[in-house]
Order: sequence, then structure tokens, then C-alpha cells
Amino acid sequence: MDQGIVEVVTGAEAAVYIQAHSVTKKRVPKKYRAAELDIKLRKERTKSETKIQSEARKAGVPTPIIQEIDGFDITMERIEGPSVRSVINETIAEQIGEVLCTLHSAGIAHGDPTTRNMIVLNKRIYLIDFGLASYDKSLEARGVDVHVFFQSLEASHENFRALKKAFLAGYTKKCRDAEQVLSKVEEIKGRGRYL
Amino acid sequence: MIVLGLEGTAWNLSASLVSDDEVLCEANSPYIPIVGGIHPREAAQHFANNVIGVISEVLSSTDLHSIEGVAFSQGPGLGPCLRIVGTAARAIALRLGVPLVGVNHCIAHIEIERWKTDLSDPIVLYVSGANSQVLSYRQKRYRILGETLDIGIGNCLDKFARSAGLTHPGGPKVERLAQESQRYIPMPYVVKGMDFSFSGIATAAQEALKSALLEDICHSFQETAFSMLVEVCERALSQTDKSDLLLAGGVGANKRLQEMLAVMCSERSARFFAPKSEYLQDNGAMIAYTGLLMLSHGLHTPIAASGANPNFRPDEVEVPWIKG
Repeated sequence: MDQGIVEVVTGAEAAVYIQAHSVTKKRVPKKYRAAELDIKLRKERTKSETKIQSEARKAGVPTPIIQEIDGFDITMERIEGPSVRSVINETIAEQIGEVLCTLHSAGIAHGDPTTRNMIVLNKRIYLIDFGLASYDKSLEARGVDVHVFFQSLEASHENFRALKKAFLAGYTKKCRDAEQVLSKVEEIKGRGRYL
Repeated sequence: MIVLGLEGTAWNLSASLVSDDEVLCEANSPYIPIVGGIHPREAAQHFANNVIGVISEVLSSTDLHSIEGVAFSQGPGLGPCLRIVGTAARAIALRLGVPLVGVNHCIAHIEIERWKTDLSDPIVLYVSGANSQVLSYRQKRYRILGETLDIGIGNCLDKFARSAGLTHPGGPKVERLAQESQRYIPMPYVVKGMDFSFSGIATAAQEALKSALLEDICHSFQETAFSMLVEVCERALSQTDKSDLLLAGGVGANKRLQEMLAVMCSERSARFFAPKSEYLQDNGAMIAYTGLLMLSHGLHTPIAASGANPNFRPDEVEVPWIKG
């Protein structure tokens, strides 16, 4: 981290330092847990996050390029575009459907695909924050992803019905089993869970 | 309003009277297994033999005409135990001609703490024998943000404790032994999104008994399992932007778990509430008080719908008493 820090975002697990051209995600130590466990978890997660994020990119999902891994810190390129949350429309929602289908087809579940974790740049949708991502092809994991995305729509967008419809049009284009995923979404919703 | 509450989901049979302002009285008859863990049939037999006793004790001090409702623990819990208190509650409600109300045991744990503290809208970590859940109120319901994918943390502790030759309840003994060690042995740490799993660590701890010191295993077991719970709580606080955390349920008596949660909360400037021990364990007062809340908001349970619900989930219950 050598450039000026533009903004710091603190999550549950990590602090994200946004700089002029790069972003550094630092997994901070947690004092509540045993030091050995703390180091082990942060090491494993840093490794898995960078691996999955790069794999997703190789599979054709726009994600920031990883520039450096230093201990528990990941530095990646900064995608300098607006958050999907602030610019979403039906065209973008449809594109998100295609992107998420591409990710799922590569056997990856994002884990937290909310509109906050997507950026628009040059008409492409970038997925960011692979901190909860996993290699998981199951209908359950895919259903959870779609459910989480829908919830983020419902939480902050008035026209969420139209956006959902557009998303599904995009998702169905390449993911032929979209209907099964959708019935999983209904099942997850029925559990009353709030993921 | 005065409400009679009957608790009997697993081990503690408890009756209590509460008014809008205070707990008037409570009588308990805990089931203590002679060997092994809680045996559902034996627990139910204990309940059947003692339910009249605990009810008579609390009713002896009051005018029966002042009672305006009968609440009982409808679930989650052991079916045979739930059926005993359900039958007793139905009989009394019919005899007194007052409404009956089936209470969710988990919500009762939360509501009594909200009553006794200044908490209004906390994230709740509910940890008992069979249950391990992280809850948050939103839009008229307590939503389950995360929960165990298999067994509850208490059962996991008990299972391991039994295999190590420790008598029931195992949790406090594991806690004491853990204080004797600082040596960490890696154990399976399973957090998936907002959910956690304890079956792997139960097996790993039993396996470790063959080669490691019991103290070290107890220490590592607690450190690993509790870290999983604390991590999900922290994520829940972060996602919901809430700033209070409430601990509830019997496993909440564990001082190390309390300490870890307190450290996590202080690092993110959140407030941590460990409940008083009298309300940590299962008690009739929490059932009576939650029943009172429900009745005063027009909720009651018709006899036909008052059957035991061993898998009663907190998010099935409408919560009209919280505004917003």
C-alpha cells in the first residue's frame, strides 16, 4: 500500500483500504480467538479467496485482478465504477443474471452477491468480495446466491419485481436449469431464513 | 394481567406467575439423570410425577380468579416432555375458563431478557442443548440469521463429555478442565456463510482422547466451537448494523464463551449482555411473561392447535409487540 488511501471500509472480517488505483483487503486479527486458530483461519481464507476470485476471472466473470498477496493482505486492482446498487436498471439486472450464471457454471458460488458487491465499468459487471465464496455446484448454493441477490434488490429498489424478471431472463439464457434454481429459491425463502 | 406459565422442554420443569410488572413466584423441579444424559421418557415421567406439585406451589399464593391466561412451552423440545406440560396447561386453562397460549421456548428466552434489561433490538445468540441459532428481529418476526447445520452446541459438548467419562451435565466440567490448558490442538472449524456445524468437532474431540490430554482437548474444543459462534455473531452485527448482542440459553453460562463475545463486542463498540444465571437456564417465568405479551396483543392458541411442536422454529411466530 503506497498510494493515498481514498476510503476505508470495515467489515466483520476485514478492513478494505481503497486507494487511487488499487484496493487492499486486510484480514485483521481477532483477539477473541486463540492465536493459533486466528492465524490458521486468516491464512486459509486469504488463500481461498484469491484462488476463487482468479478462477472466476478465468471462467469469464469480470473480477478485479489480484496484484499481490502479502501475508493476510490481498491487493487487487481498483474497479473505478459506480456500485450496481446506485445505478441498477433492467439492462444491468439482465447482465447480472448472465454473469452469475457464468460463475455458477464454473462451479463457484459467490456467497454474498448483493448489489453492493457489484461494480459497473465499461458496460461490464464486476463481482467483488469473494470472502464467502466457495466451490459449490449444488442447487442449494446457487439458490442461496440468487436469494441473497433478490433480497438486496427488495431491500433497496422500488422496482424490484421488474429487476428480478430481467435478472432471470439473463440467468436463463445460458443456465438451462434456472427453473430448478428458482424453485430452490422459493424453498429457501419458505424457511423464513434471512441470509 | 397475571399469567401462569409452564416450562418443560427438556430438563427443568418450572411453573411461574408473572404480572405486567414483575415475576410473582416460581417453582422448579429439575430432572437430574442418575447416569448418562437426558432420557426423554424418564424426563417426561419426572415431569408427570411433579407437574401438579410445581403448579400447586405457585397457585397456593394467589387468588385463582386473578389469573387471566395460561402459557406453556409448546416447543422446541423433547416431545414426551412437551406433551406433559401441554396437557397440564390445557386442563388448567379449561378449568379456569381463560385463554391458552403456546409459547416458543427460544423467543421466551429473548423476551425475558428484553424485559429485564434496556435492550430493545439486539442480535441474539441462543445456545442450549439442542439449539444453536443467531437471531435478529425484522418485520414482525425473529429471523434466523444463522444456525447449526446439524447438532446443537450443548449436545455436542455433552456427547464429548460423556465419551470422556464426565458426568451429565458435561459443559461445566469441560469448562473447568479447559482452564487448566493453553495448548491448542487443531479441530474442525466449520462456518458456511452464516451457519455452523458441530458434528465434526464432536467426532474429532472423541478421537483426540486416544492421544491427547483431556485438558488440552477441552481447551481446544471450546476455543474452536466458540470461535465459530462468535464469528457468526460478529457478521450478524455487521450485516444488520445493530449494536447490541444478547446471549441466551443454558450454554451461555460458560464464562469463556461470555468472555470471547465480550472481547468481540468491545472491539467493534457494541454492547454485550450476558443474562443473569436465573434466566439463562430454562424457567417458567420466561414462558409466563412471553404468554402475557402474546395475550395482551390478541394472540392465543385454540385447544385444537395446542399440540406439542418439537421442532417449533422461532421465525414461525408473529411478533406484534415490537414496533417497527
